[in-house]
Amino acid sequence: MTSPVIELKNASKDFEQGGRAIPALAPTGLNVANHEFVALVGPSGCGKSTVLNMVAGLFPPSGGQVLYEGELVADLNRRVGYMTQKDTLLPWRTTAANIAAPLELACRAMPRSERDDRVARMIELVGLKGFENHYPGELSGGMRKRAALARMLVYDPDTLLMDEPFGALDAQLKLVMHEELQRIVGDGRKTVLFVTHDLGEAIALADRVVVFTSRPGRVKKVREIELERPRNVYRVRFETAFGDLHEELWNELKDEVRKGTDA
Amino acid sequence: MSGTTTDEVSMTGESAAPGETLCKLLLHPAGTNAARALVVIMMLAFWEFGSGRFLPHVWLSSPSVIGVKLWSWIADGSLGMHLVATLSAAGFGYALGALSGVASGLVLGLLPRVERVASPFVVALYALPKVALAPFFVIFLGIGLESKVALVAVTVYFLLLYNTLDGVRDLDRDLTDAFRLMGATRSEVARHVLLPGIQPWIYSGLRIAVRYAFTAAVLGELIASNQGIGYLIESSAGHYNSSGVFAGVFVLVVCSVISTELITRAERAALRWQR
Ligand SMILES: Nc1ncnc2c1ncn2[C@@H]1O[C@H](COP(=O)(O)OP(=O)(O)OP(=O)(O)O)[C@@H](O)[C@H]1O
Ligand SMILES: [Mg+2]
Repeated sequence: MTSPVIELKNASKDFEQGGRAIPALAPTGLNVANHEFVALVGPSGCGKSTVLNMVAGLFPPSGGQVLYEGELVADLNRRVGYMTQKDTLLPWRTTAANIAAPLELACRAMPRSERDDRVARMIELVGLKGFENHYPGELSGGMRKRAALARMLVYDPDTLLMDEPFGALDAQLKLVMHEELQRIVGDGRKTVLFVTHDLGEAIALADRVVVFTSRPGRVKKVREIELERPRNVYRVRFETAFGDLHEELWNELKDEVRKGTDA
Repeated sequence: MSGTTTDEVSMTGESAAPGETLCKLLLHPAGTNAARALVVIMMLAFWEFGSGRFLPHVWLSSPSVIGVKLWSWIADGSLGMHLVATLSAAGFGYALGALSGVASGLVLGLLPRVERVASPFVVALYALPKVALAPFFVIFLGIGLESKVALVAVTVYFLLLYNTLDGVRDLDRDLTDAFRLMGATRSEVARHVLLPGIQPWIYSGLRIAVRYAFTAAVLGELIASNQGIGYLIESSAGHYNSSGVFAGVFVLVVCSVISTELITRAERAALRWQR
């Protein structure tokens, strides 16, 4: 058996607040295998973004270990593409220039024509045609998310960390984006760790869904999604297996969500 | 074209009260400008008419005499010569102070340990009224251009240093992290995130510094010099020549307004994304 790409070994995180350590993530074990698509769901504030931040190497865990391809994540992890919950588009760059940014770096030197080609294709893919020359301040929330998605996909990283990438999109556009994402990662070419609030989205896209408890989060349930691939992300929702999975996972999730709002 | 719009405004105003009509006229851009011109003309007329009657001419001179004075300076070339002196003092000092201020701000902003050591000294020097240094510069650099350039540079330096430092501190860590995750080197982060990110701060520093640069240059000239607009004002005052003083002040106002406007335009062009 090959070793997992992403591995959390009892990784936990406390945040300092007013001199006190507040636990955000309880010791958590989690594996993501090569070319696997894992979705994290859980109540708000349970530490989902914290998990992604640690995998990206933005900060170390307070306890336990976070490994990437068997090595301790010690510094920023440049082998992952990370689409953060809050977009990090540069406000002084237009949509096209923002998407081109990763391709302008020395580590990916390429001729200008190829860069322009790839950016144009990405803009088409995320449906931002006509907005190439708009600044982020002139885009809607959903459009900014799509621009951030394009900026991550344009340089084709092997592993994708995605934090509620489609949260700000309407239901129809979400389905379109699901299909595109599925096409890009679906034929098992990428490893994906995906955070969402939308249980249906998690089931439709993922190979495994991980349910977290309310804060401080820990893994409550891991569920294999046996729906066959390739999947039609739209039609799969009408299969009985989908409904059963939704029901089962929602039962796990709802108590936690309720606890989360009580606290 | 503006004539028709004015007509329209007055036509719609006919049915309304006269006060309301005036309001509408003033709100129109052309109306605003006309009103401003009117204010200036009225003030000048009052000044001209009152001068020698109920305003003491010796102290307050009069617009026409000031105009004649200004013209005589232009005609004999002295205005050009003194203007060049003041503009070079302000300009060179501004450039020198701005460049070194931004550079120091970057160093202090990016190296927190250096900043912690340097901070009390920087604060003390910043708090010091720079004019107090003028005699010192005269002793070391003489009464020529160099001492004025130094005074301007020191004044501008601290403004830009603090603005740059604030800009670096205000920089969104998430943006730099995102770039480093994409594989950017330190210098690429600096070029693509840091430098554009602090631009708004630098421009606002540059805009404010224009006024201070002129103030410092003229102060330096007032204190000890043999050329420059400040010298012109000082020597006119020494001869109780109030028209010379006013003419000098007028030239300074024009210079300051023009250079501030130029910076503001450059700022607007560079920071288009902010709107
Ligand atoms: N930098 C920080 N400093 C202090 N506390 C933090 C910090 N980042 C996160 N936290 C806390 O850690 C907990 C987990 O945060 P996290 O962002 O991982 O939640 P999440 O599961 O992503 O929530 P959501 O679904 O709302 O995005 C939260 O209670 C939050 O208040
Ligand atoms: Mg989150």
